[in-house]
Amino acid sequence: MSGLVTLAPEAPPVSHDFVGALTIRGLEKTYRLDGAPLKVLQDINLDFRPGEFVAIVGRSGCGKSTLLKLIVGLDAEYDGEIRLNHEPIRSTSLDRGIVFQDHSLFPWMTVQENIAFALISLNLPAAEKARLVSDHIRLVNLAGFEKAYPKELSGGMAQRAAIARALVTRPKILALDEPLGALDALTRVYLQKELQRIWMEYGSTMIMVTHDVEEAVFLGDRVVVMDANPGRIKRIVDIPMAHPRDRSSGVLHGLRDEILAELTEGH
Amino acid sequence: MSAGIIAMRKALLKFRLSALRGAVLPLLLLVWWEYLASGDKVHSFVFVPLETVAASLGDEIRSGDLLDNWLASLTRTSVGFLAGGGVGIALGAVLAISRIADRVISPIYTAIRQVPLLGWIPLISLWFGNGEPSKYFIIAFAAFNPTVLNTYEGLRNVDRRFTAVAQVFQATRWQVLRHITLPAAMPAIYIGLMHAIAFAWLSSIGGEFFFNPGPGLGNMMMNGQTNFRMDLVFLGVISVALTGYGMNQALAALSRLTLRWRPTR
Repeated sequence: MSGLVTLAPEAPPVSHDFVGALTIRGLEKTYRLDGAPLKVLQDINLDFRPGEFVAIVGRSGCGKSTLLKLIVGLDAEYDGEIRLNHEPIRSTSLDRGIVFQDHSLFPWMTVQENIAFALISLNLPAAEKARLVSDHIRLVNLAGFEKAYPKELSGGMAQRAAIARALVTRPKILALDEPLGALDALTRVYLQKELQRIWMEYGSTMIMVTHDVEEAVFLGDRVVVMDANPGRIKRIVDIPMAHPRDRSSGVLHGLRDEILAELTEGH
Repeated sequence: MSAGIIAMRKALLKFRLSALRGAVLPLLLLVWWEYLASGDKVHSFVFVPLETVAASLGDEIRSGDLLDNWLASLTRTSVGFLAGGGVGIALGAVLAISRIADRVISPIYTAIRQVPLLGWIPLISLWFGNGEPSKYFIIAFAAFNPTVLNTYEGLRNVDRRFTAVAQVFQATRWQVLRHITLPAAMPAIYIGLMHAIAFAWLSSIGGEFFFNPGPGLGNMMMNGQTNFRMDLVFLGVISVALTGYGMNQALAALSRLTLRWRPTR
């Protein structure tokens, strides 16, 4: 299916140590709905180890997408602390990429142009940018589709292009907001494996929000189980298995059933 | 490049098929028209027989009058459309981008917009006289309104997901405008221009009825009316209709070519 694509190790575009340790302390988030405060996140404490894959599961309304938005810096209004390598997060940065459920590719740009757009704020020679773009197109197995518009791609291909666009700046943290939620079951299983491969090759910290518990235990080093109203952490489950993983493993199935039982408790 | 050619061919093929279907109704109308014209004297005066129209078409082409009139109307419309549409896009963009401009200009602009074009004619002839400048002004004004509105709406209603992505990649305000907002608004701007060209053409012909005579299709029709030459009136109607249709199709083809990325619905 895919030969391993090695990214040229020399000259990363952003000069920083590549992986990110993210610390969240006492995080609270309150929205105002018609003047009335609505607490969506309460007392969130989490440590993400550099290069770790963390999956966050929980029912709708548990604030998991809000948590990602705060980590990425799309929303700067919160109480508590979010720090990446000790620096507090108050705005967006190339250190932290995000992939949304709907790929959010710009429909008026080709795959190539979409990925190149991510480099717009970097002062790099054009040739270097072109190389980065084509490297990342290969990383997600989209070679041959450089000039295709998003409307010409299947859902799975579009999502892979979105992943390439998010990774081309070599972020320390990649936030994935239900990236496979809108795909059909087969494409989904395929992309879960792809995501695992990309993560192993790439080595950055990945945080994925998902509804799919099986997906969470298959991909995550840890699974954060969240509860709703207000959104809070119920439990953190370690998945003690090396990657790449075997989907049919009994250990994974056991953990999946355990988490599912916990999530559906009282329903 | 080749993708452009393929898209052009596809568009052409589609155009031919739809043109064929679209021709059925006009042909039926012509047959009915000819039937009505074949009645008594009154009928053949009011519904000029097609052969008379064809004959005067030949005469008008040979004398060069039709071409002159057609070109005069077309030139006025093009200049007015480009001026009004251009200023319209600019104003729409300023209103969409600047909150202050939006607050200061939008209320008065919205009020002005309520006055129909015909209502302006007395003032326009007072300010610009009854000659060519007034005709141009009316056309530009007609093209201006739909472009302002659609440009404004297009630029304002850009999907927030796209601006969020641009924000993550640290794009500057100018880069967001150039690479995100403007391309995202292009379909709406094209809709504005489609309306603008239709209104410009209508008011180009209509304007001739209100201001001093000069070359133009509207004038040709007025002359036909005063001289009891219904064939000329009919010729004018057909020329106006076909030219308007042609301009609409040309703009639609241009938008299909430049907005190839658009998902087909």
